Amino acid sequence: MSNATTTPYQSFLSRHFAVLLIAACLVFIVCLVHLFGSVMVQRVVIEALIRIVIVVGIYIFTGNSGIISFGSVTFMAIAAYATGWQTCCEMLKPITMSGLPSILRDNSYPVYVSALTSVSLAALAAFVVGLILMRLGGLAASISTLAILFILNVSYSNWETVTMGTASMVGLPTYITPWIALGAALIAVVCAWVFQNSARGILLRATRADEVAAAACGVSLYWSRLIAWTLSGAVMGLAGVLTAHFLGTVSINSYFLNLTFLALAMLVVGGMKSLSGAVVGVVVVSTIVDMFRRLEAGVSLGDTTLSLPAGTQELVLAGVMIVILMFRKDGLMGGKEFCLPKRWAAVRSESVTSERNAQ
Amino acid sequence: MQNLIQIIVDAVALGSLYALVSLSIGLVFGVMRLINFAQADYITIGAYALVVPTASVSPALLLGALPFAFMAGGVVVVVVVLALLTERLAFRPMRGSDPATLLVSSFAVSYFLQHLVMLIHSGRPKSVGIGNSLSAAVEFWGIRVPGTQLLTMGVALVMLVAMVFFLKKTPMGIQMRAAAENFQMARLMGVKANRVIATAFAISGIMAAAVSLLLVVQTGTLDIRMGLMPVIFAFFATVIGGMGSLPGAALGGFIVGFVTVGLQAFLPPDLRAFRDAFVFMLVIGFLLFRPQGLIVTSAARERV
Amino acid sequence: MNQLAENSLETRNVHVAFGGIHALSGVDITIKTGMVQGLIGPNGAGKTTLVNVLSGFQKPTRGHVVLNGKDVSGDGPQKLARAGVGRSFQAARLFQDMSVEQNLMTAAIGTGLNKADAIIRSREILDWMGLGHHGAVLGGALSYGDERRISIARALALHPKFLLLDEPASGMNAEESQNLMSIIRAIPAHFNCGVLLIEHNMEVIMGVCEHVYVVDGGRSLANGTPREVQDNPDVRRAYLGEEDAAA
Repeated sequence: MSNATTTPYQSFLSRHFAVLLIAACLVFIVCLVHLFGSVMVQRVVIEALIRIVIVVGIYIFTGNSGIISFGSVTFMAIAAYATGWQTCCEMLKPITMSGLPSILRDNSYPVYVSALTSVSLAALAAFVVGLILMRLGGLAASISTLAILFILNVSYSNWETVTMGTASMVGLPTYITPWIALGAALIAVVCAWVFQNSARGILLRATRADEVAAAACGVSLYWSRLIAWTLSGAVMGLAGVLTAHFLGTVSINSYFLNLTFLALAMLVVGGMKSLSGAVVGVVVVSTIVDMFRRLEAGVSLGDTTLSLPAGTQELVLAGVMIVILMFRKDGLMGGKEFCLPKRWAAVRSESVTSERNAQ
Repeated sequence: MQNLIQIIVDAVALGSLYALVSLSIGLVFGVMRLINFAQADYITIGAYALVVPTASVSPALLLGALPFAFMAGGVVVVVVVLALLTERLAFRPMRGSDPATLLVSSFAVSYFLQHLVMLIHSGRPKSVGIGNSLSAAVEFWGIRVPGTQLLTMGVALVMLVAMVFFLKKTPMGIQMRAAAENFQMARLMGVKANRVIATAFAISGIMAAAVSLLLVVQTGTLDIRMGLMPVIFAFFATVIGGMGSLPGAALGGFIVGFVTVGLQAFLPPDLRAFRDAFVFMLVIGFLLFRPQGLIVTSAARERV
Repeated sequence: MNQLAENSLETRNVHVAFGGIHALSGVDITIKTGMVQGLIGPNGAGKTTLVNVLSGFQKPTRGHVVLNGKDVSGDGPQKLARAGVGRSFQAARLFQDMSVEQNLMTAAIGTGLNKADAIIRSREILDWMGLGHHGAVLGGALSYGDERRISIARALALHPKFLLLDEPASGMNAEESQNLMSIIRAIPAHFNCGVLLIEHNMEVIMGVCEHVYVVDGGRSLANGTPREVQDNPDVRRAYLGEEDAAA
């Protein structure tokens, strides 16, 4: 409190260091790619940025509430299909998806309209589902998110006239550049950060730590969880829109257990209790996955080509996840956020004071 | 009339199959608060043990070539060993972690096993002819019941009775019930954790072996996700029954089986493809009214 | 409504049964604002169950909980906490991976404050208890004694009308316990609330409380000033008898 040299700027920096660092790194990488990257590298970076949106989306709910969600990719699928219906294949739609209402079947919409409506639809779907699921206790809620995943998968796989069943919807405009993916990732990261530092976020983290003690503090689980779940659904929707317009195709089985596993593995490896952990998890796991995919494809050493059997990558990933859960339960980041290096950290204790004085 | 009885027979057969699976899930949950995704892979691997590992879609028989008793025994041994291995290598080091961590780790173990099978046997579905003779229908008082249904009901009944006897009459079974009802209390009373937990895994392995044989006899196919749906349904059976209640788990299994068969029979034909979605919706609707399940145990409530 | 009913938290003939076991069978106590009252009784007498009933964690199987003249028997813990019933637990139960300040903020936000006001309230309480320097420390990184004190501070952050403290000094040494008791004695005046102190140590409770309830075997046994209770033959037999014999 005696330290009068703290400027508002310094205190802002130290309070929000983690999110500022993450954002700076992402912007830096995208700048590099913009200047020097090949198309291949650009695609790798876009893919990684989309994964950040996915994992941060799950983190907003799972990280703050402590309830593992197996169902979040459901909302990705909902948004991906919604944007597909609005933007894809004007000529083919009336034939391949004859069951669509005519407003979708016979019209196409600009991509930003479709992005907004699709994200809203995902958020709405999450809200409605959450009204029911968030009443359940932690484990039962977790298991029930799995039911949501299956309900959507079964429905969309069989709703032939609207979703084309298990076939892929093709011909979506592919407009995702590294800059758009960057923008989405920044939105996701900032949403997560603002939420976890909000009053609601603090309450939810308290219920994660100790439900009984939180109840004694007057915290009602239901609304805190529902808000996080809905926000998480919206971010997942954003991820769905990005994926759809990055690949140009939508197919229901790419939003099922494999993607759920990959996303959870990233969250677990980085540490699901912090935003920094979620982002670190994406980077580390993406690296491992890409490395082993390359080894499976074969590495040529002189005259011989060495390759690992297909499927090694999945085994390694599952193995890494199990080892992390065994020996470092809170992930690589140990549940902590990035924070300012020690010699600047004197500023830290002042942050609260200055916030107080600002009142 | 004939039709209705057929539906009831189907429902009982499927219900008893789910009851077996949900009971194994419930048993392991009871002793270590783990909801075990890998139960699905115990079932799958038990079935794949019948054939020689190749990429072929109609592979040569391995255990499946043995006389029935040896084949069944062999599958049981394989699955029990697998269940004990996963317990020892993966779950024991995590004992005492919170249920959410255990849940996600079992998801990882399951993913690992599934891809291991894929690596060894390739991911393609395979056909395997075992117990073809059983598909012949048996007639009772003018009602024809497929042999496989009878077998399923018979096996499930024997195993359920054996389970009840084990849980009620043997010291180990009583300890297991105590642990399921009140985990902390059981610990305090000196229940030997390692032995009880290993036994629960072994039993869940035996039941998984039975389920995998029944599934193979019923369908004649092998698929790397064949264990998945029964186990997912069994998860909900345990939630419906009340987490931690063993009778609840069995009851939940029957309920889910009945609902599934009922929907299959009474849904309009163009909605039948969505059957499983309806089952899950009914489950969630049920939980809305009874979030703690049918039988509430102290496992569902935390002591203050 | 008389003055008593306006500012009191009462149990009326409360029964609690777990299966066949009767944890409470007919207990009447009245907690008034403005003073520290004690609740004593031998182990297993039902003290913690009574606190659970008062704070909504345990529904009474029979009888009523009455807050400021209103029947709140069916209300859950969240509702009662917001209505002004704060409590601590036998274990501190801090939110381990949140800072001490956030631990207190949780309770303050729980009563409806916004984040900025919650920070102010939390700081005030920490400063008042002489724990201001701990604000940024994680709940899981505290010493045992500090953990206990922070758990009381967190309950105070509700600005409760009634504060129920479940053996707050257990496991503390004599000096720590002394310090804690002087803080507890000051709570009613500073926060304008009533405190119910459950304590095993007879001497501690005699030094702090103006009024003492004794429960035994799930029943109200006696109540009165510490002196009166100490002299009550029933109490001596049920509870103090052991200590007399030991002395």
